[in-house]
Formats: sequence, structure tokens, C-alpha cells
Amino acid sequence: MSVQRSGYSFERLPIAEVESGTNLLVTGPALGGIRTLLLRMLLRGNDREGALFITADTGGSTTLEDYAAAGGDYDPTRIGVVDCTEDGTGDPDRNIHAVGSPNDLTGVGIEFSSVYEALHANGADRVRTGVYTLSPFVVYGSVKPVYRFLHTLTGRIRTADGLGVCAIDPNTVETETLSSLAQAFDGRVELRAADGETALRMQGLPDQPDSWQTVEF
Amino acid sequence: MADLTIACVDGDPAARSETREALVDDHDVVSCGSVSEAADLVRTEDIDCVVTEYSLPDGSGLDLTRLLRDRSPDTPVVLFTDVSPDRIDSARYQDVVVEYLPKDMPEARKLLGRLVENVVAQRTQVAYPLPPEEDDRLAALAQYDRPGMEAAETFDRLTTLARAHFGVDVAFVGLVDAHEERFLACAGEDWETLDREDTMCTHTILEDDMMVVEDVNADPRFADNDRLAELDIAAYAGIPLRTPRGATIGAFCLTNGEPRSFTEAELTDLQLFADEAMEQFELRRRLEESEEGDGPAAESGPGQGAADGGERE
Repeated sequence: MSVQRSGYSFERLPIAEVESGTNLLVTGPALGGIRTLLLRMLLRGNDREGALFITADTGGSTTLEDYAAAGGDYDPTRIGVVDCTEDGTGDPDRNIHAVGSPNDLTGVGIEFSSVYEALHANGADRVRTGVYTLSPFVVYGSVKPVYRFLHTLTGRIRTADGLGVCAIDPNTVETETLSSLAQAFDGRVELRAADGETALRMQGLPDQPDSWQTVEF
Repeated sequence: MADLTIACVDGDPAARSETREALVDDHDVVSCGSVSEAADLVRTEDIDCVVTEYSLPDGSGLDLTRLLRDRSPDTPVVLFTDVSPDRIDSARYQDVVVEYLPKDMPEARKLLGRLVENVVAQRTQVAYPLPPEEDDRLAALAQYDRPGMEAAETFDRLTTLARAHFGVDVAFVGLVDAHEERFLACAGEDWETLDREDTMCTHTILEDDMMVVEDVNADPRFADNDRLAELDIAAYAGIPLRTPRGATIGAFCLTNGEPRSFTEAELTDLQLFADEAMEQFELRRRLEESEEGDGPAAESGPGQGAADGGERE
């Protein structure tokens, strides 16, 4: 008994639909638009979709404001935030949950699972999850628990037919670390800003344009 | 996926038996009520997954997880609990990473069964990168790694030669299996096994050609790996052992107690050693295969089953 369902589509972005259960790594310079790209990729395709942010670089409130500015909405029954910044504070009314430190990967994993399941219990039939960014998890701690955390996160998203989008600035980590972390993902979205033009390129996924595509932010 | 062995840990007998009931139709369930009992269970039984309450009489589910991460680091843990995330003290356990499922979710126990099966099948709590086709890789490894295929002496000779040739502290042939690396031959040391999360070879098997780390302490993937320091591994060069069908089963490696570089010529020679080792594996596999093929054929006669006969001439 399997239900044929469509994948995830991305409006106003040169990315073709991806299958449900896909986990993507978004790489690019932090100031070059990866934040806007991630926020856009998390815009809900319909009201049955949920969106969940795991933020380590910016606080929960700011994330929700930026999401709204990118075209998102505020519905706390469909949208949740796990705030991993050092001085993050929770706000149950807006479905923001604070962990206290990006070092606490156990806490981040538990809050993620809790919010993810709660969004489903509230009626979301699938959820787009965005991590902005992976760098603080990698930079401040040992890399072994980061593998454990990423396998847990991407595994849960894969089996729940979700979408996972994790951003990282390649300049913040060693090349070897980045390529071993990339193994947890199905594909990669590379973003670059050159000559006043921002462009992205897809890698590792079928049926995607394989050349650089201009993005308008 | 059926027939996992699941340890169910809950101090409340009624809740424990309810959780057990939810899993026992499809799996073997062993249950207990405390951290210390669970620790004993893990020692004596081959547990695929631990499902634990957070609050236990002699500690927490995270205490239990920390204990497990020392003894059996790949074993997945699911916190199945009434306790909400904000009341879980994770800050003191920030590296252990678990799955979490609230007991008060609608249909929580049905979700639990699925979650357990997924975390086991997908190996979601391992602390190292996984090759894309890990199940196929392990199946291939099983063909090259059988008790009858002892090749220890051959590999002893090869690693002894390699160690002398390169002037390094250690040369070894290691097989990377599901949870640990096993050293078939190890010249210069007597390593037998190592938890996979502590090995460098688990990274080497992801590479196309080789992995060279001239200074382990300068590589963020390994710099804080205490086990490597204990083993006096400061430099490493490893070549993946790849079967003719393309599965990577292990690596031929050199390590050194001081950082060092490897020249192009040395790495070319190391590749030759790895090729030789892989050929030895392949010859033994074929020998075993043909002996197996001969076995039933020699015994075949009137008693041979029709089902088998269908595949033969």
C-alpha cells in the first residue's frame, strides 16, 4: 500500500522538484545569499506543509521575521523553531524552543524530534526542515557527535517524507570535514556570487539543471 | 524489518509492559527497570536498539546512553518518555545524541515500532560518515571474510615487508565491518579491533584512491580522537581494498608515531601492496567458492533436491 505523492517544489528558484525524503546541503559564502536561499526553500507549498528551523547563527525571533520577509507566514501550528544560539530564549506562543548552546547536540536532537512530531500531530502532513547554519555545530565541538546528529536528523526527515535543507559556509570548515559531512546528504546546492550576479548549481540529484543558474533575490 | 532484539528500560512496570506489548509481535524484547540492570543486559545480550524512559530509579536515560556510547557506541537509543524536552538535562550529555519520542503522542507506541526499525535500518546514531551503499558493502565483505579463509600468514608477510619498506611504525590490513575494524595483520603492533567511530579507515573507504593524513593532530576529523593518540597514530596513509565488483571492504595502511609526509613514489608502492592484498582476498574467495561448488556436486546423487537441481546443468 503506497500512496504516490508529489515531491517538493521551489517557487522563484531555478531548482526542479525534488523527491520527498530528500536532504540537501546548501553551500556558499554566508554573506552571499545562502540565508535567503534557505528561507525561500522552506516556503510552504500548501497549507498542509509545515516548516521547522534549527538556527545556530541567528535567534528564533529574527528567523521568523526574516522568513516572513522572504514570503513566509507565522502560523505556529505549522511553523516551529529550535533556537540553538547561546542566548536564545524560548517562546511557546510562537513555537520557539531554546536549547542554550550549539554544543548541546543531544538537546538539539531532542527538541527537533519533539517539534517535528508536534507539527505532524497538529495536522501537517509533511515538513520542510532548515538548518542555518551547520558551522557552529562543527566549529565549536568534536566532529563525531555531529555525524551522529546529522544521521539522526536526515534519517528522520527521510522516513517522514520530509525535506531537509542544511546550510554551511565552506570557508568556516576544513575541506575534508565538509566532504565527510556532505556524505549524509542526497545532493548539494552550491551558491556563488560573482560579478554582481548570484547563481546556483545543483549536484548529485537526478533531473536537475547541471549548469549555473542565475538567482534573483 | 523484523526480529530485532530491543531492550526496553522503564522503571514503571505497567508502562514497561505496555511498551513491550507494542514491540513484541515483531521483535524480541528484553526489559528491565534501571540503568544498572540495562547495563548488565547490554553486556550479556546482543541488543539492536535501546528504548528507555528518561527518569529511571538510579539515573536517567542519558546516563544509560553515555554508558552505551562507551561500550557499544553504534547502538541506537530512543528516549521514550513523558518528560518534555525543557525538563531534560541534556547539557551534561551534549555529545551522546538520541532519538526522542513523547509517550503522550497519539498512537505513540505504534510510532515507536516504526522509529526503532528505521533507526536500526538506517544506522542513524553512528558517529562516522557512512558509505552510500553500506548494506551492499557489508554483504560483499561477508564473502571475503569467512573463518575458512584464514590468510593471516600471507598478510603478516605483506605488512612486515611494507613496514620495512616504508620505514614506518606500523603497517596493517584492516577490514571495516558493521561496527568495528578488525586487523587481519598488523606489523609493529598487536591491534586486533577498534570501534569503527575511532578508526581512520572508516574515512578511507569513502575515498576513490587513498587517504593520506600527514599530521593527525592538524586534521579536524581526527584531532580530538583520543583513541588515535593512545595508539600513537600521528600520521596515516591508507589505500581502500576494493573488490572486482567495486565494494570497499577495508584498507591497507601505514601509520607513524610522528607526523610524516609520503612521496608520490611511496604512495605508488603502497598501492601495489594494496593490490597484492586484494588479490589474495579475491583468490581465497574464489577458492572457497569453487570448494563450496564442488562440495554439494560431489555429494549430489538421487537425494539432491529438485529445487537445487534446477540451477544446475
